[in-house]
Amino acid sequence: MIVDRLLERRLVILSGKGGVGKSTVGAALALLAAERGKRTLLVEIDAPLEAARYLEAPASGGKPREVRPGLFTVNLDPRSVMDEYVQRTVRVEMFARRVIESPIYERFFVTAPGLKELMVMGRVMVFEEERERWSRKPKWDFIVVDAPATGHGLSFLKVPLAASLAVPIGPVGANARRILALLRDARRTALVVVAIPEEMAVVEAAWFHDLAVDEVGIECAAMVLNAAHERRFTDAEEAQVLRLTSERAGGRLLREVDLGAALVAARRHIRRRKLTRFYETRLRRALKAPLVSLPFLFAEALGRREIRTLADRLAEA
Amino acid sequence: MPERPPVRGLEAAIGERRVLVVCGAGGVGKTTTAAALALQAALRGRRALVCTIDPSRRLATSLGLSQLSEKPRALPLHKLGVQAPGSLHAMTLDTKRTFDALVERFAASPEARRRILDNRFYQQVSDALAGTHEYMAMEKLLELRTDERFDLVVLDTPPTRHALDFLEAPERMMSFLDTGILRFFLKPYFVAGRLTLKIATRTGALALSLVDKYLGLQFLQDLSEFFLAFDGLYAGFKERAARVFELLRDPGSGFVLVASPAPLAIDEALYFHRRLVERSMPFVGLIVNRLHPDPAEGARSAPRTAARLDPAFAGKLVAVYRDLRTLARAERRGLARLEVDTGVPPVLVPEFETDVHDLRGLLEIAAAIVGGVPLRARRRAAVS
Repeated sequence: MIVDRLLERRLVILSGKGGVGKSTVGAALALLAAERGKRTLLVEIDAPLEAARYLEAPASGGKPREVRPGLFTVNLDPRSVMDEYVQRTVRVEMFARRVIESPIYERFFVTAPGLKELMVMGRVMVFEEERERWSRKPKWDFIVVDAPATGHGLSFLKVPLAASLAVPIGPVGANARRILALLRDARRTALVVVAIPEEMAVVEAAWFHDLAVDEVGIECAAMVLNAAHERRFTDAEEAQVLRLTSERAGGRLLREVDLGAALVAARRHIRRRKLTRFYETRLRRALKAPLVSLPFLFAEALGRREIRTLADRLAEA
Repeated sequence: MPERPPVRGLEAAIGERRVLVVCGAGGVGKTTTAAALALQAALRGRRALVCTIDPSRRLATSLGLSQLSEKPRALPLHKLGVQAPGSLHAMTLDTKRTFDALVERFAASPEARRRILDNRFYQQVSDALAGTHEYMAMEKLLELRTDERFDLVVLDTPPTRHALDFLEAPERMMSFLDTGILRFFLKPYFVAGRLTLKIATRTGALALSLVDKYLGLQFLQDLSEFFLAFDGLYAGFKERAARVFELLRDPGSGFVLVASPAPLAIDEALYFHRRLVERSMPFVGLIVNRLHPDPAEGARSAPRTAARLDPAFAGKLVAVYRDLRTLARAERRGLARLEVDTGVPPVLVPEFETDVHDLRGLLEIAAAIVGGVPLRARRRAAVS
């Protein structure tokens, strides 16, 4: 089972083009992991409202909070992560505050390219390494990171590599190398690339996959084809839809459902189903990872019920 | 609200403005829309260039090309059987090269230039890191704006989580390269190539010792060399950034906001619209892509009962119909919200039968955006 192999890891990073539903997939995967008894942490990066929206929970804060049994969410706001790092490093609180408030800190730490991304990845690594005080067991069994959309998502993955080259010595360089080692450790970490059945999402998934695998050295354990239009009619029924359309069949199916209108919807469904199959084939050819397909959800807004549906579908994958 | 056709502002902008910046959240079809706007301008006799900064080459995809380069490439409109009095060029931005060119242009001496280009820190930051793309896009815009070959530049912006990172990038970059504090911070202590902590303020010393402790001296030296080498560039950069802002606010420029009808995308569009207004940026129009059709619209309401169908089949038909209606109605509520809050009626682009990823598909979108450009050839379905 694809999902079982995913759940064997400790850290799963989701990536994909903007708008493909990384956050819904992340919420569903985290929910499933928690239900399988894993103490799960869903990490959002500078997006406190996404998991909240989908799990119908309060907005994620800077500290992990349990929103369902065994399921915690946390939002990593890069600036706060950096401030927290300084506070931990400079133990005297008065000094720490002065550093954080100083213009040098503001200009240097906050605007230095890549430093924020590195800090955020470092924080994820700290979660992964966290141990219970007495038992020394890992505090988190499963961590899902909902990475920013591809463009910036790649920065997040590439920064540890860039930093380990640019900063050959010192604790930051050492940390960058530790983060990189975690990303490259296929027993602990996996990348999941998310796409939808659309040209650009598929092209971008393949592009991202190649860069992440070849340059960063992370293993892609699965790809998710989200918002897939699944077959609803048999072949004979599809043929009948087309025939009734060409006959301009009319009348009422129900009091409020016109047959002509229903046929418009049915034809659209058939086209989308075929497009889905077309892009699924494309994805399978472009990426070597196993593919999980999740259905398009016709809902007013995505909430707990829809995430439940997706989690159930993941469980079958 | 005064009655006014929604396309007017946008249509006028396509005909008159010299720069159009296309922005919106990721996944809403920004790149395709940027290409369609440029195509529409070409159809109206303008010499248009569409430029993307996206590293994943999506513009190439939507133009049906395998590759795009830094060099603007002309697209063969005549092959489509379309009489375009203007022209359409497309290009993609190479962030590192633009940065390099900037360094070459402003470096005080050949020696300084080499010091920067060979600097390890520079080699890392000038590439794929957040913020650099956006800044370099702005830089490229200045250059293209004065290119005699084009009278309209359509700029596709990078997919950022918060779309306005893009607007703030030049400021952030400037603040990073700012002459005052960074030079005060670095220069006196590093010229000798070693670190001394005799800084006037204790906090400054603490911050600096933190930098040393956590980034290492080697990195600091690379960094200080980098900034020292940049010494002569500050003035040039600052002046360029100021000109970018002038250019963006210029009445000859316009921001086109792109959204999809999903609730999240509508929220982001509203947020971005507010920010544009706050910053007095010239907003020219709102485009909503991939609107799902409402099957009930235009349905023939025959009073009679439909011919008898197999109940299971009829049940599926009803379910498919209801699903699409749910979606369509939710989207129309979102659109209403968008119009009320922005005061601008959005231009609606329907979901097309197939995915748009070639010039012919772009024509359909271009036509949907302003209406009225006849299509000679119908698009062949990509899959059957």
